Amino acid sequence: MTCRDTENLLELERIREIPAAEQQALKRHLAACHRCGETAKVARLSSVLLGTLREEIVPGPSFYARLRERLAAAGSDQPDSALLHAWGLARRLIPAVALGVLVLAGVTISLGGPSTPRQFQGAHSRDIYAFSLEEVNLPGAVERPSQDQMLAFVLMQGKVRGAGSGE
Amino acid sequence: MNDNDKEKGLEPRREQRDEAAQEEARLIRQAQDGDQRAFEALVRLHERMAFGIIGSFLRRRQDVEDLAQEVFLKAYLAIGRFRPGAPFAPWLHRIAVNTCYDHLRGIRRRPEIGLADLAESEADFLDRYVEKGYLSGGGEADDRLAARDLAERILDTLPPKDRLAITLREVNGFEIAEIARALGCSRAAAKVRLFRARRAMQAALRQLIRQDERDE
Repeated sequence: MTCRDTENLLELERIREIPAAEQQALKRHLAACHRCGETAKVARLSSVLLGTLREEIVPGPSFYARLRERLAAAGSDQPDSALLHAWGLARRLIPAVALGVLVLAGVTISLGGPSTPRQFQGAHSRDIYAFSLEEVNLPGAVERPSQDQMLAFVLMQGKVRGAGSGE
Repeated sequence: MNDNDKEKGLEPRREQRDEAAQEEARLIRQAQDGDQRAFEALVRLHERMAFGIIGSFLRRRQDVEDLAQEVFLKAYLAIGRFRPGAPFAPWLHRIAVNTCYDHLRGIRRRPEIGLADLAESEADFLDRYVEKGYLSGGGEADDRLAARDLAERILDTLPPKDRLAITLREVNGFEIAEIARALGCSRAAAKVRLFRARRAMQAALRQLIRQDERDE
């Protein structure tokens, strides 16, 4: 028998009785091997010590009378059981309600919902859409013709028409 | 149900179990409606388990009863939040273990222990054990008391959760999954705690045994 086998047998011994043949082999090995002998002593003593903690204690005669008193005192301090149930139910519903609100908000936003037109404000608080015709025509970019230029343009048009009709 | 089950008489046992579960469910519903008698009946169904857990951490009967009162009072105040249909015993285990944990956290942990720290009865017990190499299961009453003192002295050096793990496993026979559930941790974490607690306990005992052997 090896030291490894001994270790396994000691572990097995802790759980249940081992066969007589193996018991003899174990005994011989423990007598010959000091290290395994010490391990066995420790393992067996450990089991013996823990075994002493296994004591059956039954409640004494006054145990239940005392418990009844304490339960009654605790019961009177406790809120009504119907209220407790209602609170328990409400607590379970809170996450569901919160989820519902979130889903509704999400659906409303994704469908466009009621929205107001955006308002853009230009410099000096002027509405950028409130422009004038002059601003669009960019005054100064193209010079306005003078009165003489306009008269010359009309005379030239008359000459062109006269020349056309004389032919 | 097959014929084999009927032959082995499993059917009546299963029926009894179902009836017991239905009765427990009925008591839970009534207790949730504020029926103290129904709650007391529930306590009586589970008192053995609760006293077993608490008794593995405390010695004096009065202390055990005081902590048991705390456990059942907490359960009574929390039963409104108990989910109907869920298993009741693990729920109560957890309350009992948490109450024991709070109690253990309040106790100052001892540092490492040496042979000089032991009471005379504990040192005598250890000496006899080292000399003989084994103890008979029965043991003398004085030996049992000394062994219990020594066990508590060593367990006092462990962190509370490690102590809970080893006690629930070795004393109360909990499975790893049950320990994990009671401690509110994963199965792997429960295994680690158990392994660490066993190793720490064995290391403390090895040191005591070596000191005892050196003194001889």
